Amino acid sequence: MRSRLLLLLAVLGLLAAPVPASASAAVAVTIGAVDLDGPAVSTVEVTVTNGGSARLSRLSVSFAGPIGWTSYPASRSVKEALAPGASATVEFLIHVPEKPASFTVRKFTATASYRGGDGAGTATGTRLERSGAPLAGLAAAYNNVGVTAESNPTPGNFDGEGNSFSSARLAEKGLTPGAAVTALGATLRWPSVPVGTPDNAAGGGRTIEFTGQGSRLVFLGSGSSFAATGTVTVWYSDGTAASATLGFPNWSFQDAGAHGATLVAATAGRNRPTGYGDAAYEYRVFANSIPLDPAKTVELVTLPGNGAVHVFDLATA
Amino acid sequence: MTDLLNVSRRSLFGGALAAGALAALPASASADDATADPRRRRDQRTMIGVPFEEHRTVRVGLVGLGNRGMGMLDGWAAVPGCVVTAVHDVRADRANRAADRLVSLGKPRPAVHATDRSLFAADDVDFVYIATPWEFHYAQGKGALLGGKHVGVELPIATELAELWDLVDTSELTRKHLFLMENCSYGRNELAMLKMAHEGVFGEITNGHGGYLHDLRALLFSDTYYTDAWRRKWHTRSIASFYPMHGLAPIAACMDVNRGDRFTYLRATATAPRGLADYRARHVPQGHPSWNETYINGDLVTCLIDTERGRVIRAEHDVSSPRPYSRINSLAGSRGIVEDYPARVYLEPDHGGHAWQDFRPYRDRFDHWLWKEVGDENNGGHGGMDYVLQWRVVQQMRAGLVPDIDVYDSAVWCSPVPLSVRSLERDGKPVRVPDFTRGQWMTPRVGLDSRPSAMPATV
Ligand SMILES: NC(=O)c1ccc[n+]([C@@H]2O[C@H](COP(=O)([O-])OP(=O)(O)OC[C@H]3O[C@@H](n4cnc5c(N)ncnc54)[C@H](O)[C@@H]3O)[C@@H](O)[C@H]2O)c1
Repeated sequence: MRSRLLLLLAVLGLLAAPVPASASAAVAVTIGAVDLDGPAVSTVEVTVTNGGSARLSRLSVSFAGPIGWTSYPASRSVKEALAPGASATVEFLIHVPEKPASFTVRKFTATASYRGGDGAGTATGTRLERSGAPLAGLAAAYNNVGVTAESNPTPGNFDGEGNSFSSARLAEKGLTPGAAVTALGATLRWPSVPVGTPDNAAGGGRTIEFTGQGSRLVFLGSGSSFAATGTVTVWYSDGTAASATLGFPNWSFQDAGAHGATLVAATAGRNRPTGYGDAAYEYRVFANSIPLDPAKTVELVTLPGNGAVHVFDLATA
Repeated sequence: MTDLLNVSRRSLFGGALAAGALAALPASASADDATADPRRRRDQRTMIGVPFEEHRTVRVGLVGLGNRGMGMLDGWAAVPGCVVTAVHDVRADRANRAADRLVSLGKPRPAVHATDRSLFAADDVDFVYIATPWEFHYAQGKGALLGGKHVGVELPIATELAELWDLVDTSELTRKHLFLMENCSYGRNELAMLKMAHEGVFGEITNGHGGYLHDLRALLFSDTYYTDAWRRKWHTRSIASFYPMHGLAPIAACMDVNRGDRFTYLRATATAPRGLADYRARHVPQGHPSWNETYINGDLVTCLIDTERGRVIRAEHDVSSPRPYSRINSLAGSRGIVEDYPARVYLEPDHGGHAWQDFRPYRDRFDHWLWKEVGDENNGGHGGMDYVLQWRVVQQMRAGLVPDIDVYDSAVWCSPVPLSVRSLERDGKPVRVPDFTRGQWMTPRVGLDSRPSAMPATV
């Protein structure tokens, strides 16, 4: 039974949490492939397998796609009881929107409620389907100009108000284009782009290609609000995914350890639209990390959707 | 969805209601019964999902060649594979002028029919477009169906509930499509809003607002614009929300009405009719025929419509007050909101700080294929959406597609016209909205958010 289940999960490319050790004794809910080539109405098969040792009866299955998607019906009931090891498949319809060109993940959830089986009463299965191409790397996601020359601050807009880091002050701390930066055990690089051009990824939740292995993923960045946190999702080459929260302190006036970050460099003053100023204050770059499964290889990384989280680089450690 | 009337009945039996409310209840209860859905005849089948038969060319017959009919003429002439073969207007000079215009555009001269009946019976017409005053729409739509034609009807397809049902039934019996020529369903912003809704950008959609807020006072009192002032005369004889469809239809599409959700109850309010009389007092000379008229249609008629999935729609109608133009086009859910005039959004997680942001980046990202491939804001009326509608009607018929808008959509979008009257007559009590699909509203299906497809080549 267990091997069959695992096989099924493998075939379906299920991205659910690792199969629990007790899987052989559990009721499993699996969601079949969903045709994402919309706009269309797709048929989805949900299979409930009675991995428990008792007969399973009064089975009712509900199914939902991503938020806002219309599906039908709300639930389906199965009249026949399932003997241990037996399974039942029910169908749902779902309205699938046009497939976006960019990398997108769709999450589908099915929940079974029942009597008997493994005695748990309910079991849930999820399926993540990916579509679209990720960006080639972090540089392709650069959408914000965080560093400018004091002689030309106008392209800068790190904070949404036209302010930016001063390239000269960063250079005093060793942060020049392409320079190596060591932090939290990782070797990162200061963006290798001309000063005054997009040099960091801020918001948008874009997914980038990133290959690496290690015990943590280190980000070089800074915040442009006092709540600069967001979710990072790491996609491993085995098809599994894990999410964690990443945050940076505001570039100024917030505890350097906020959100668990580490100070990398503090520069005096910043470039304002009118020129260099605020010299009495520090504007800072930080590092922070999220845990990785060291046994797996990272394939893709989905960056935070929060535009206040600015990422200059990332590397494994 | 809770049945509002049942809730009331429960309170009634609990004895908690005041005498006034008690007296009012039976009226609303009977209103509910009066609108119970009629059953299908045995030989009648649904038109949901029924494709057009493929037409090599679409031969169009035009009925009503006033402002709208004439305004759409060049569009019909321009769509590839479309030929206007027949025209009719009770004012023969207008039909002749339309025929002359087509000849001047290098097109064949259409037959000028002396009656609508002869046009409906013509064997060289596949599709009839009706752009006459509202009072003729039902009879002419039905007549065209019975003549074996597909029919596109200007707003509204009918003004009475029994007429709406009869058009549904006649379409099902004749196996021909009849639909509302709702150009605003093809508006660029409206279609982008629809695609955003389907993507889930607004989260779980909870409410929407639309309508027709257009200061028509000068046109209503014009002696030359609306033929015989037909539109002003409606304001003397009906309290209905005449024309909320331009804003309602796009919201209904976003909520997948008839494709997973449905309207359940409608309640209406109306303000006092002040606008037209006040305008007349200031701008219309004494002795003008309008001075014999009394206006009874409220300036602002509001319909609140509940849906089965717990959403609420506000549909407005005001054509008699000074105000800038708006169809509102607002859709909101658990993750954000869009509102038009001007088009703006507030969407999580992209936006914060309680401030509207520009809609434009979203319109670009969710631009409908019809706008990428066919639409041109400088081609045709109403910012290009009229031509998109015409192109799409012809393309659907030539390629043998299922229409984006069917008789069920059309009937339910127009149902606020009679239902607003019904509710207003009952002091704004909720009245039941019929299920014109007779149970098929639950099933998801693709509509205006369509898959790209080509116009068949002309040979
Ligand atoms: N969708 C839109 O954007 C839009 C815009 C304008 C008007 N309309 C609709 O178009 C319709 C016509 O409005 P209009 O502004 O063109 O009015 P209009 O008065 O300019 O035109 C009506 C025409 O119908 C003719 N007519 C009257 N009775 C007739 C009959 N029984 N048979 C044949 N012809 C008849 C009249 O002679 C006139 O030429 C209305 O339903 C109106 O609501 C829709």
